Amino acid sequence: MDAKVIVFGETAIDRLLQWLRSTGQPQDIMDLVRQYLEILSKAVREENE
Amino acid sequence: MTAAPTLPTDQHALAEEIYRLMVAQGAMFAIDTPIRQTLANLAAFLARREGRDRAELAAAIDAALSADSRFTREEVNGEVRFVTTRQGAYVPRDDTDTHSFKQRLHDPENPLPIDDISVVVSTSRPAITTVEPVYISDYWQMQLSAPPAEAEAEKVAAAEAPVAEQPVLEEAPPAPEVAPALVEEAAPEPAPMAIEAPAPVPVVEVAPEPAPAVLEIPAPVEEVAPEPAPMAIEAPAPVPVVEQPAPPVAPAPRPAQPPRSTVFTLSDGTAIDLRRPVDEIMAEYGDVLARVLAERLEHDPLQRIVSFGRKYYPEANLASFGKNDLRKIRDYILERNEPLLDTEIIADLYYHNPRQADYEGFRFSLNYRLHREKDFEFVGVEGAYLWATRGLPITGGKRVKAAEMGQITSYLVEGYDDSPELQSIEAIKQSGSVTRLLTFFEWEYGVLPLDAGLAALLPPPLLPEQRSAVLRFESPQHYTTYLVEVRFPAGNRGGWLQGLEEFFHEHLVPGGLITISRTGEPNLFHITYEEGPEQSERLLTFDEKKNRLAFANVSFYCVVDEDQLPTQSRYGRLNRLKAFPMGERRKAELMLEHVSETIGEQVGSPAAPRYAVTLDDLYVAFNVLRPGSRAYLKALLERGEDFSADESTPGLYYYTPAPRASAEEVEEEADELPEERPPLRQRYSSRYDEDE
Repeated sequence: MDAKVIVFGETAIDRLLQWLRSTGQPQDIMDLVRQYLEILSKAVREENE
Repeated sequence: MTAAPTLPTDQHALAEEIYRLMVAQGAMFAIDTPIRQTLANLAAFLARREGRDRAELAAAIDAALSADSRFTREEVNGEVRFVTTRQGAYVPRDDTDTHSFKQRLHDPENPLPIDDISVVVSTSRPAITTVEPVYISDYWQMQLSAPPAEAEAEKVAAAEAPVAEQPVLEEAPPAPEVAPALVEEAAPEPAPMAIEAPAPVPVVEVAPEPAPAVLEIPAPVEEVAPEPAPMAIEAPAPVPVVEQPAPPVAPAPRPAQPPRSTVFTLSDGTAIDLRRPVDEIMAEYGDVLARVLAERLEHDPLQRIVSFGRKYYPEANLASFGKNDLRKIRDYILERNEPLLDTEIIADLYYHNPRQADYEGFRFSLNYRLHREKDFEFVGVEGAYLWATRGLPITGGKRVKAAEMGQITSYLVEGYDDSPELQSIEAIKQSGSVTRLLTFFEWEYGVLPLDAGLAALLPPPLLPEQRSAVLRFESPQHYTTYLVEVRFPAGNRGGWLQGLEEFFHEHLVPGGLITISRTGEPNLFHITYEEGPEQSERLLTFDEKKNRLAFANVSFYCVVDEDQLPTQSRYGRLNRLKAFPMGERRKAELMLEHVSETIGEQVGSPAAPRYAVTLDDLYVAFNVLRPGSRAYLKALLERGEDFSADESTPGLYYYTPAPRASAEEVEEEADELPEERPPLRQRYSSRYDEDE
């Protein structure tokens, strides 16, 4: 994924939702942001590799 | 089973004999499974058994079986075979599925008429259905994001490649040339290998021996594991399509791709490089990203992720609470007569245990649901989610109205909060306690303005639109507990705490020093004061029934600041202050004029009065009627046209009221315009006199 097309809060939000579901518990906003960054970083890294 | 055809007797007998032999050979076959034998095998077997010429017998067999409808003649690689089944003539099986449940379900043969669409479309579903997210694997996402140039290159390469498929008829190529993998495709069914496996069959070549009865028949090979090569040619009707391996094609060279960007930009222009470690990004932009993400999630039209406070949870996982649940919760809060924690509600009404796996999800669902109900109000803080409901008694009583207090304490949000000068915010956060002197207004009404010092100590609102929070103040000196409502500032209105009236009146006097400290629980605080020897003073009090201020003898046991203690000996004129209605006390300028005139030293003449008053006295007297900081008073004094500072004496001010009309002039004016003008008013409106 080209990071230029990332809209923070919209891009890959379904994957964030999937993670949130898998945890089974409410999560703090900072944990949510951290996980979201992980998802975006992974997507960008995979594309570049 | 088909009947034997009419043939010449010898042919009929021969065909019947062979049919019997072949059916015996395939006795364990399915009724429609083909049983094959080569003409050579049949001729060899019968020639040996009957002692006839093999070639002659082969011709007879060929003629007899070809004329018999129960047999199908095949010729493969010059070898003649006959096929039959236990039920007679061989008919290839048709495997086309024309009666599947799926097909009948979706395309019923005789569909029922639909008179009313609501019969098949439920109207109870929401107008906007929740779209379940579909996880798309990384592979497809990469495919999607692949550049078009690459796809084009692949297309060109595919077009240039030689044709990989060509139709090959059955008799065209010899068996070994057929690709093994495609033989199955050519064969419509697993063919029994029958006579093609002659290895264990010693029948034909061992001629001179007398024929054994039965066992000489070549053993039929069960139609199991297909042996690839020779079977392909046995396929009957359908024209097989044989793929020949395409010659290797050199992969098209990929065009060089420019490196992808790893930097994304927020709406405010902040650029963040995703190659950096997440911890670093969080440390630098964590708060900004959290705000942006929260905002995006809040405006998500599908509301897939919902929030309560700092917690986020999938909307689809929320537990449902119906009207009965809400009524039950409301009744329980009213029964307990005070705001309740969410954990209490869950434990007492739903018997959920915190050790249950779904506890936190259930708790979130409860809070989220109550937050959306008008009958409930969130009055908790982070770590202690308290819920109040309509009908609960107001914490702190009704003496102070929220709208009035909000305006009275507006000076705090206007920049006249000088509390950090008395105790720094850092010290408060570090020590976890605030120490302050009580003014008369605070003591009388049990109200503390929410200045910066208290705001640094108390928890902030959890929700953006939260109006208030209910805290529990404990007095470790007296083992008493008080519910204190914190009203948060909103817009141009200030905040305050209320609910300490009883504690103040029982244990303290104006000028007393109190300390409020944090505890381990987020909504529990300690309130203490320094105890002292018994003192008796004639102090200012407020008689609410008579609505007037007066001095009374009071005994107290706390350490006080003598300058702030409103004694009769020092502030003897305070009882002359008018007990204005709270709605009027918000007019700070008028209050300041009234206070200055009441407690100031008259230094002018009766015709042109002038009052001298110090800032310290003004502060004490002003705070009898309403709260106000020294910074606020200074600003009012500097702004007021009738006030002037004494240049020689710091902290001394003069108040020179505007000259009033004389009594005669007033009477004349009243006579001239009796109907048009309102009744003669005192300086601060006649309503106050009526109130008094």
